[in-house]
Amino acid sequence: MPIEMSSRRSRITDEEINELISKLQSLLPESRRRSTSRASASKLLKETCSYIRSLHREVDDLSDRLSDLMSTMDSNSPQAEIIRSILRS
Amino acid sequence: MQVAEAFKHAFLKQMLLGFQASVVSPKSMGFQERKSAIKLSADVAMAVARGTRKWTRGLIAGLSKEHQNRSFLQLILGEQYERLMKPCHSSWKIPRCKKIVRRSLRVCCRRKKKKNQVGVLARTLVAKRTQELKILVPGGESMDGFSLLDETLDYVVSLRAQADLMQSLLTTIEASKLRSHSKGTLPERKASYVGN
Repeated sequence: MPIEMSSRRSRITDEEINELISKLQSLLPESRRRSTSRASASKLLKETCSYIRSLHREVDDLSDRLSDLMSTMDSNSPQAEIIRSILRS
Repeated sequence: MQVAEAFKHAFLKQMLLGFQASVVSPKSMGFQERKSAIKLSADVAMAVARGTRKWTRGLIAGLSKEHQNRSFLQLILGEQYERLMKPCHSSWKIPRCKKIVRRSLRVCCRRKKKKNQVGVLARTLVAKRTQELKILVPGGESMDGFSLLDETLDYVVSLRAQADLMQSLLTTIEASKLRSHSKGTLPERKASYVGN
């Protein structure tokens, strides 16, 4: 006997999914410019993927800059001492 | 949506542990090696600060697959390493979940007279993009439907925080370098601390 969707209570409601989709949309950078009408599913997914990739690039760039900055840092520098003292607390 | 204060503190602390391990390490590191160590520290810090989520487990599991990462991971994680490496007992299965999400996402598409054609195209695009997302989100391959969206949301919020916190670390270290250069030589600075 096939079980119809409507006749079975699933643990996750449509409401919860819609809320999740809204939240995701509000995180994306372009969403602030866009009108309130809902984007298509594939567009939302595409922009999410795009956003995640740009965040990865941002972190990679920051890692470059931190590595650069720390190249002149040795265990005797004031910065290393600051780090050590923060870790002790 | 923002991460909690506790996340920020845990992230920074874990990040600094990573710095200490890479700066104070017995061998001197070249630029690329140090950069890899920093990136690794940042990812570990983000996962540790967030706690137990599907994506954090996926992230740590992915990182420890690389042999060269393991000793560094053990160093910066300490006893947490064993705990984090324990296999995850899979959460409750949601057999209908895929259908619910597909149905809900389908509602987003514009309704046309040539409904069938649009429907097929939309479904194909959604499937393709979902596959892409599964690759981008750590541990995504084993996630489905609601789980994937939920984890994605959490992951994106954490990534944003990771970038912001790394930026503020950068700014802080740059500023302190500027101060220490302008204040004179190192021995003089140390003397002023002794008095406290």
